[in-house]
Amino acid sequence: MFSTESTTRDLHKTLETDVEAALNPTEADGVFRDSRECAALLLLAGALLLSPPTPRPKKG
Amino acid sequence: MKQLSGAIHDLASEVVSVLRDGDHRSVAGAGAVRGDEAVLRVAAVRALGADVLLPTTLLRRPPEEPVLALVREAMRTYPPGPDASSATVWSHWAMERTVLRLTSTDGVPDRGGRRPTGAPPTAQPDVSDLESAPWQRLTHQLAVLGALAVPEADSAVAEVARRRSLDVSRGFVRAVRRRDWFQAAGAGRWLAAVRGAPGTLGLDTGLDFVLHMGGADPRVALHTHAARWMRATDPGGGEGAPS
Repeated sequence: MFSTESTTRDLHKTLETDVEAALNPTEADGVFRDSRECAALLLLAGALLLSPPTPRPKKG
Repeated sequence: MKQLSGAIHDLASEVVSVLRDGDHRSVAGAGAVRGDEAVLRVAAVRALGADVLLPTTLLRRPPEEPVLALVREAMRTYPPGPDASSATVWSHWAMERTVLRLTSTDGVPDRGGRRPTGAPPTAQPDVSDLESAPWQRLTHQLAVLGALAVPEADSAVAEVARRRSLDVSRGFVRAVRRRDWFQAAGAGRWLAAVRGAPGTLGLDTGLDFVLHMGGADPRVALHTHAARWMRATDPGGGEGAPS
């Protein structure tokens, strides 16, 4: 019984800190998309799609 | 912290579910839990704050006693300490204020004589740090204090948000560009609550976008649904500030 009470008390103490942290979050780091990088990737993907197929050796 | 954040997410999901469907399911108060689970649930209620009672506030339903009891217990268990941050103090104030508003008229205790402990509803915590904050930090802090953004909000925080609504609009756009969906949803909720969105902002479309991109996080969904509900029920169409 003592052990259960002690565990619950420990949990409560931990939660006090956690609640305080949850109520005071720091600002999340932004995730930006760089327009120039996106455009470059799009051009590259387009070029790959439009490029002629790799020549293969003829059978027989 | 991971355990608590999971419990907060579960609780926020319950609130979102009630707001979205408009049904009469109970939030947080349903079902008896014991031991560590009960301790964790009280902590989650304290972290989510007055938003646990948001369905009652927005849908204008009578408060459910088990939910009120849980909110009271959370306030008792986690009172703001002498070194508590402004956000913690305001969050606690919002819970007190909401319980008092839902259980009494004009600050008079309810029939059972119950009244939240702590400061009286008229004594508001300090708001000077918000008044002088740069618009980026203002938006962040307001998103954290999103539970105060309710219809006819009359707190000092709401007054700052109303007065600096153009700054909050800039913060909303910045948050969307940074893909900080929680902050964007919180800023959108404030703009809806204080009717401060300029017409050129496109807040409704913005809120739809935020919900689409970040709605998997129930705290984002909660702020967004609250904002959309206030926009939908605002007779003025929600546009307040000049564009």
